[in-house]
Amino acid sequence: MTDVWGFRNPIGFATLVKRELVRTYKVINQVIWPPIITTILYVLVFGLGLGSRVQNVQGVPYAAFLIPGLIMLQVIDQTYGESSSSLFQGRFMYSIQELLVSPLSALEIVTGFIVASILRALLIAMLIMSVGFVMVHTLPQNWVLFFGMVVLVSTLFGAIGIIFGLLAEKFDHIAVFTTFVITPLVFVGGVFTSAQFLPPLVRRVSLVNPMFYMIDAFRFAFTGRSDVPVTLSIAIVATLAVASLAIALRMTALGYKLRV
Amino acid sequence: MNGSPKAPALRIDRLCKRYGGFTAVDGISLEVARGDFFGFLGPNGAGKTTSINAIVGLATITSGTIEIFGYDNVRAWREARGLVGLAPQEYNFDRYLSIRDVLIYQAGYYGLRGAAVRKRADNLLERFGLTSKANDTFVRLSGGMKRRLTLARALIHEPQLLILDEPTAGVDVELRIELWDLLRDLNAAGTTIILTTHYLEEAEALCKNIAIVEGGKLVAMESTAKLLARRGTTTLSVTVDRPLASVPPALVALGAIYEAPTRTVRLFNVPPDAIAATLGELGAAGYAIENVDFARSSLQDVFLDLVKR
Repeated sequence: MTDVWGFRNPIGFATLVKRELVRTYKVINQVIWPPIITTILYVLVFGLGLGSRVQNVQGVPYAAFLIPGLIMLQVIDQTYGESSSSLFQGRFMYSIQELLVSPLSALEIVTGFIVASILRALLIAMLIMSVGFVMVHTLPQNWVLFFGMVVLVSTLFGAIGIIFGLLAEKFDHIAVFTTFVITPLVFVGGVFTSAQFLPPLVRRVSLVNPMFYMIDAFRFAFTGRSDVPVTLSIAIVATLAVASLAIALRMTALGYKLRV
Repeated sequence: MNGSPKAPALRIDRLCKRYGGFTAVDGISLEVARGDFFGFLGPNGAGKTTSINAIVGLATITSGTIEIFGYDNVRAWREARGLVGLAPQEYNFDRYLSIRDVLIYQAGYYGLRGAAVRKRADNLLERFGLTSKANDTFVRLSGGMKRRLTLARALIHEPQLLILDEPTAGVDVELRIELWDLLRDLNAAGTTIILTTHYLEEAEALCKNIAIVEGGKLVAMESTAKLLARRGTTTLSVTVDRPLASVPPALVALGAIYEAPTRTVRLFNVPPDAIAATLGELGAAGYAIENVDFARSSLQDVFLDLVKR
């Protein structure tokens, strides 16, 4: 299809973003409160409970070390969830046809979902950051990096969500990526511990885990310290985001499982 | 904003749609003039919905072209889509939005917003008797209301070509008549309408022109009047009180046939003045008339005739 890259229907694009935010609001008990509650529990049990017996990590108390990782964990989970479940539901209930018959290009549709994912991620990040401020008195030191990483990571996982939302044949398939890829990689990717504490072999393995770079760079925004150079992490995450976006755009432009 | 002021509302040229080895649409070509009320008929699985999906962009095209008011729906898809409104057969509403917002957001996807759109949404809800449900989601509507909402949504961006896929499926007779009136009004106001339906009397009542498809191919495309005239348009059946010894010669000359088991004489395409003569001939031969039946062939007969060939 021609004009895939066209961006000539800004009202249509904005309407889609608004629609996705309405959806987020309608499922607030599934997508906003759980990450906040989970974070509070993690901070209480691991950060303040167990963490009181752990020495400072990267120069900060363990509970403060934990906060950026927990934000990334929820940002990744919720942005993937936003676009994948919205697209899959739309396909499942045919409501995606409302977009498909309209003069919306693949770029307008994909960026609509991505921007909605970013906004959902920013909301969650700010809320968890507030939890962190109240509970362990930690705040980002580098706001540009804080917002930049949230945008970059939610773009990546919003795009991956689109890809899986299109591939999935049943709801169960959406969960496969969360269960078998996102959760394990995030947990071993440095949410709970610095790579410096890992055995050398595990440390080397974690260098092929993309989640490690996201969390490491994001934590730099809080602590000013990182295990690997921040620019390297940003470059890796940006490359992955661009690649995922390109695939999501290509699939949408071809109408993969959309225009039968 | 039309591609060419003289272009027809819809021009399909050798449209093919294949799914693997299965050909759903097999080289259909047709034109729908501006202002037409066009019936698109065929048995289940004939390729009607697939063709419609190809027109509105819900299905990709294997080969062939589709132009909407002169706009190629692949190369100039934005312009083409903006001119079409679709009322699909299956409900595909956004379940997260109130029905008022369903209309407003759909307009948004078409690039329209503001007070004018909100007013238009309210007017459509009013016109389709949905105002009391404006803040409910689609799942709270009755079957008839869902059908009406389908139509209201298709009209929110004021399309010049309205495509209705089984618009009255599952609605009661009263609402069907109401929807017919609405569609006639829209058509009279200049909207070109394409309709698929299983109710042949619906096509007969509404459509100016009709295309019949079967097995993905076009089997007929004519004005409704011509299509109706294709087959014997009238049948006169006269049942007599006892077996007929022989058909009177005057009736044989008119092409009468006699069905002995039912003691019925049948004449096809009888001129109006031959009705009395037929009854007279049989009376004169000494038979009493038990029953007279006069039937006009319907679109259903033509349809069955065409799709059974």
